[in-house]
Amino acid sequence: MVTHEVFAALADPTRLEVLTRLAREGPATATDLAAKLPVSRQAVTKHLAALDSVALVERHRTGREVRYSFHPDPLVAVVSWVESVGHQWDKRLERLRQELE
Amino acid sequence: MDERRETSGDVAVERSIQLSADPSLVWQHVTEGELLSTWMEGSVEIEPRAGGVISMTEPGGATYTGVVDELDPGRRLQWEWRSEDGMPARVEIEIEPLESGTRLTIRETLLHQQVFETPPQRFLRTDSPHLPDVESSARIHTVAVA
Repeated sequence: MVTHEVFAALADPTRLEVLTRLAREGPATATDLAAKLPVSRQAVTKHLAALDSVALVERHRTGREVRYSFHPDPLVAVVSWVESVGHQWDKRLERLRQELE
Repeated sequence: MDERRETSGDVAVERSIQLSADPSLVWQHVTEGELLSTWMEGSVEIEPRAGGVISMTEPGGATYTGVVDELDPGRRLQWEWRSEDGMPARVEIEIEPLESGTRLTIRETLLHQQVFETPPQRFLRTDSPHLPDVESSARIHTVAVA
Protein backbone atom coordinates (compact mmCIF):
# COMPACT_ATOMS: atom_id res chain seq x y z
CA MET A 1 0.00 0.00 0.00
CA VAL A 2 1.60 3.25 -1.13
CA THR A 3 -0.68 6.10 -0.35
CA HIS A 4 -1.45 9.32 1.28
CA GLU A 5 -3.21 7.23 3.91
CA VAL A 6 0.16 5.99 5.11
CA PHE A 7 1.18 9.54 5.91
CA ALA A 8 -2.25 10.45 7.22
CA ALA A 9 -1.77 7.63 9.71
CA LEU A 10 1.38 9.41 10.94
CA ALA A 11 -0.26 12.83 11.19
CA ASP A 12 -1.42 12.19 14.76
CA PRO A 13 1.41 12.89 17.25
CA THR A 14 0.39 10.09 19.64
CA ARG A 15 0.15 7.59 16.80
CA LEU A 16 3.57 8.66 15.57
CA GLU A 17 4.91 8.21 19.09
CA VAL A 18 3.41 4.70 19.25
CA LEU A 19 5.09 3.80 15.97
CA THR A 20 8.39 5.40 16.96
CA ARG A 21 8.48 3.38 20.16
CA LEU A 22 7.79 0.15 18.29
CA ALA A 23 10.57 0.99 15.82
CA ARG A 24 13.05 1.93 18.54
CA GLU A 25 12.20 -0.48 21.34
CA GLY A 26 10.88 -3.49 19.46
CA PRO A 27 7.55 -5.34 19.62
CA ALA A 28 5.12 -4.45 22.40
CA THR A 29 1.53 -4.95 23.50
CA ALA A 30 -1.04 -2.16 23.79
CA THR A 31 -0.66 -2.42 27.57
CA ASP A 32 3.12 -2.01 27.37
CA LEU A 33 2.73 1.07 25.20
CA ALA A 34 -0.01 2.63 27.33
CA ALA A 35 2.26 2.39 30.37
CA LYS A 36 4.77 4.64 28.61
CA LEU A 37 2.37 7.14 27.08
CA PRO A 38 -0.04 9.64 28.62
CA VAL A 39 -3.04 7.95 27.02
CA SER A 40 -5.33 5.04 27.91
CA ARG A 41 -4.87 1.47 26.71
CA GLN A 42 -8.08 1.88 24.69
CA ALA A 43 -6.61 4.91 22.93
CA VAL A 44 -3.41 3.01 22.16
CA THR A 45 -5.44 0.10 20.79
CA LYS A 46 -7.27 2.51 18.49
CA HIS A 47 -4.00 3.99 17.24
CA LEU A 48 -2.57 0.51 16.66
CA ALA A 49 -5.65 -0.41 14.63
CA ALA A 50 -5.13 2.71 12.47
CA LEU A 51 -1.48 1.79 11.95
CA ASP A 52 -2.47 -1.81 11.18
CA SER A 53 -4.97 -0.63 8.55
CA VAL A 54 -2.12 0.86 6.49
CA ALA A 55 0.27 -2.01 7.24
CA LEU A 56 2.68 0.06 9.32
CA VAL A 57 2.49 -2.50 12.11
CA GLU A 58 2.21 -6.27 12.22
CA ARG A 59 0.18 -8.18 14.79
CA HIS A 60 1.55 -11.27 16.47
CA ARG A 61 -0.79 -13.25 18.71
CA THR A 62 0.66 -15.45 21.44
CA GLY A 63 -2.08 -17.02 23.51
CA ARG A 64 -4.22 -14.14 24.76
CA GLU A 65 -1.54 -11.56 24.11
CA VAL A 66 -1.26 -9.49 20.95
CA ARG A 67 2.09 -7.94 20.29
CA TYR A 68 2.70 -5.35 17.62
CA SER A 69 5.85 -4.73 15.66
CA PHE A 70 6.95 -1.96 13.30
CA HIS A 71 6.52 -2.79 9.60
CA PRO A 72 8.37 -0.17 7.50
CA ASP A 73 7.53 -1.41 3.99
CA PRO A 74 4.82 1.19 3.22
CA LEU A 75 7.20 4.02 4.13
CA VAL A 76 9.99 2.47 2.07
CA ALA A 77 7.69 2.24 -0.97
CA VAL A 78 6.71 5.91 -0.78
CA VAL A 79 10.28 7.05 -0.26
CA SER A 80 11.35 4.84 -3.16
CA TRP A 81 8.75 6.47 -5.43
CA VAL A 82 9.94 9.96 -4.45
CA GLU A 83 13.56 9.00 -5.04
CA SER A 84 13.07 7.31 -8.41
CA VAL A 85 10.74 9.97 -9.83
CA GLY A 86 13.08 12.69 -8.57
CA HIS A 87 16.09 11.12 -10.27
CA GLN A 88 14.13 10.71 -13.47
CA TRP A 89 13.34 14.44 -13.57
CA ASP A 90 16.93 15.34 -12.68
CA LYS A 91 18.12 13.45 -15.74
CA ARG A 92 15.44 14.92 -17.98
CA LEU A 93 16.07 18.49 -16.89
CA GLU A 94 19.79 18.12 -17.34
CA ARG A 95 19.20 16.90 -20.88
CA LEU A 96 16.86 19.84 -21.48
CA ARG A 97 19.50 22.25 -20.21
CA GLN A 98 22.06 20.75 -22.58
CA GLU A 99 19.56 20.85 -25.42
CA LEU A 100 18.82 24.54 -24.90
CA GLU A 101 22.25 25.90 -23.99
CA MET B 1 -18.55 18.49 11.74
CA ASP B 2 -18.19 17.84 8.06
CA GLU B 3 -17.97 14.07 7.60
CA ARG B 4 -16.38 14.38 4.21
CA ARG B 5 -12.80 13.26 4.23
CA GLU B 6 -10.44 15.69 2.58
CA THR B 7 -7.58 14.07 0.73
CA SER B 8 -5.34 17.09 0.48
CA GLY B 9 -2.12 15.28 1.33
CA ASP B 10 0.49 15.10 -1.36
CA VAL B 11 3.38 12.84 -2.05
CA ALA B 12 5.17 14.92 -4.64
CA VAL B 13 8.50 15.61 -6.26
CA GLU B 14 9.34 19.13 -7.38
CA ARG B 15 12.20 20.38 -9.45
CA SER B 16 12.97 23.92 -10.53
CA ILE B 17 15.58 24.94 -13.06
CA GLN B 18 16.76 28.24 -14.52
CA LEU B 19 17.42 28.26 -18.22
CA SER B 20 18.99 30.97 -20.35
CA ALA B 21 16.54 30.25 -23.20
CA ASP B 22 13.49 32.41 -23.80
CA PRO B 23 10.17 31.28 -22.30
CA SER B 24 8.69 30.74 -25.76
CA LEU B 25 11.44 28.28 -26.68
CA VAL B 26 11.09 26.45 -23.36
CA TRP B 27 7.33 26.27 -23.91
CA GLN B 28 7.91 24.66 -27.30
CA HIS B 29 10.13 22.07 -25.61
CA VAL B 30 7.40 21.05 -23.19
CA THR B 31 4.47 21.01 -25.62
CA GLU B 32 5.84 19.64 -28.90
CA GLY B 33 6.29 15.89 -29.05
CA GLU B 34 9.40 16.01 -31.20
CA LEU B 35 11.11 18.44 -28.85
CA LEU B 36 9.89 16.66 -25.71
CA SER B 37 11.43 13.49 -27.11
CA THR B 38 14.87 15.14 -27.13
CA TRP B 39 15.00 15.48 -23.36
CA MET B 40 12.40 13.14 -21.86
CA GLU B 41 13.66 9.58 -21.72
CA GLY B 42 11.64 8.25 -24.61
CA SER B 43 9.57 9.01 -27.63
CA VAL B 44 6.78 11.41 -26.70
CA GLU B 45 3.54 12.14 -28.48
CA ILE B 46 1.30 14.87 -27.18
CA GLU B 47 -1.84 16.69 -28.24
CA PRO B 48 -1.22 20.06 -26.60
CA ARG B 49 -4.76 20.89 -25.54
CA ALA B 50 -6.96 20.09 -22.58
CA GLY B 51 -8.29 16.58 -23.14
CA GLY B 52 -5.45 15.71 -25.50
CA VAL B 53 -3.58 12.44 -25.25
CA ILE B 54 0.03 12.17 -24.11
CA SER B 55 2.13 9.04 -24.41
CA MET B 56 5.75 8.17 -24.01
CA THR B 57 7.64 5.06 -25.02
CA GLU B 58 10.93 4.52 -23.25
CA PRO B 59 13.93 3.09 -25.11
CA GLY B 60 13.37 -0.18 -23.21
CA GLY B 61 9.80 -0.37 -24.49
CA ALA B 62 7.90 0.66 -21.37
CA THR B 63 5.05 3.00 -22.18
CA TYR B 64 3.29 5.75 -20.30
CA THR B 65 -0.09 7.02 -21.30
CA GLY B 66 -2.22 9.85 -20.04
CA VAL B 67 -4.32 12.88 -20.73
CA VAL B 68 -3.53 16.58 -20.75
CA ASP B 69 -5.96 18.18 -18.37
CA GLU B 70 -4.82 21.77 -18.31
CA LEU B 71 -3.00 24.03 -20.71
CA ASP B 72 -2.41 27.75 -20.29
CA PRO B 73 -0.39 28.71 -23.39
CA GLY B 74 3.13 29.84 -22.62
CA ARG B 75 2.71 29.37 -18.88
CA ARG B 76 1.35 26.13 -17.59
CA LEU B 77 0.76 22.54 -18.66
CA GLN B 78 -0.64 19.71 -16.61
CA TRP B 79 -1.21 16.07 -17.42
CA GLU B 80 -2.00 12.82 -15.65
CA TRP B 81 -0.32 9.63 -16.69
CA ARG B 82 0.79 6.21 -15.63
CA SER B 83 3.01 3.46 -16.92
CA GLU B 84 1.56 0.08 -17.86
CA ASP B 85 2.24 -1.35 -14.43
CA GLY B 86 3.19 1.73 -12.43
CA MET B 87 1.52 4.26 -10.27
CA PRO B 88 -0.65 7.07 -11.59
CA ALA B 89 0.71 10.57 -11.19
CA ARG B 90 -0.03 14.16 -12.11
CA VAL B 91 2.68 16.20 -13.79
CA GLU B 92 2.53 20.00 -13.60
CA ILE B 93 4.87 22.17 -15.62
CA GLU B 94 5.14 25.91 -15.06
CA ILE B 95 7.10 28.44 -17.01
CA GLU B 96 8.07 31.78 -15.55
CA PRO B 97 9.90 34.47 -17.51
CA LEU B 98 13.00 35.86 -15.79
CA GLU B 99 14.88 39.06 -16.58
CA SER B 100 17.19 36.90 -18.59
CA GLY B 101 15.88 33.45 -19.39
CA THR B 102 13.24 31.24 -17.90
CA ARG B 103 12.41 29.39 -14.75
CA LEU B 104 10.92 25.96 -15.38
CA THR B 105 9.23 24.15 -12.51
CA ILE B 106 8.09 20.55 -12.67
CA ARG B 107 6.00 18.90 -10.02
CA GLU B 108 4.95 15.25 -10.14
CA THR B 109 2.36 14.15 -7.60
CA LEU B 110 1.42 10.60 -6.74
CA LEU B 111 -2.31 10.12 -7.23
CA HIS B 112 -2.95 8.17 -4.10
CA GLN B 113 -6.67 7.60 -4.46
CA GLN B 114 -6.11 5.73 -7.70
CA VAL B 115 -3.18 3.87 -6.21
CA PHE B 116 -5.57 2.22 -3.80
CA GLU B 117 -7.42 0.67 -6.71
CA THR B 118 -4.37 -0.67 -8.49
CA PRO B 119 -1.41 -1.80 -6.40
CA PRO B 120 1.88 -0.57 -7.81
CA GLN B 121 4.56 -2.89 -9.07
CA ARG B 122 6.98 -0.57 -10.71
CA PHE B 123 7.20 3.09 -11.56
CA LEU B 124 9.80 5.18 -13.32
CA ARG B 125 12.96 3.22 -12.83
CA THR B 126 16.15 5.23 -12.57
CA ASP B 127 19.69 4.10 -12.49
CA SER B 128 21.84 7.19 -12.81
CA PRO B 129 23.20 9.25 -9.95
CA HIS B 130 21.53 12.36 -8.66
CA LEU B 131 22.44 15.40 -10.70
CA PRO B 132 23.68 18.14 -8.43
CA ASP B 133 22.97 21.33 -10.37
CA VAL B 134 19.21 21.12 -10.50
CA GLU B 135 17.42 22.87 -7.70
CA SER B 136 15.19 20.26 -6.22
CA SER B 137 12.96 19.30 -3.42
CA ALA B 138 11.00 16.24 -2.57
CA ARG B 139 8.00 17.08 -0.52
CA ILE B 140 5.91 14.75 1.49
CA HIS B 141 3.27 16.43 3.51
CA THR B 142 -0.08 15.32 4.67
CA VAL B 143 -3.15 17.10 5.90
CA ALA B 144 -5.95 14.87 7.04
CA VAL B 145 -9.27 16.40 7.98
CA ALA B 146 -11.83 14.04 9.41
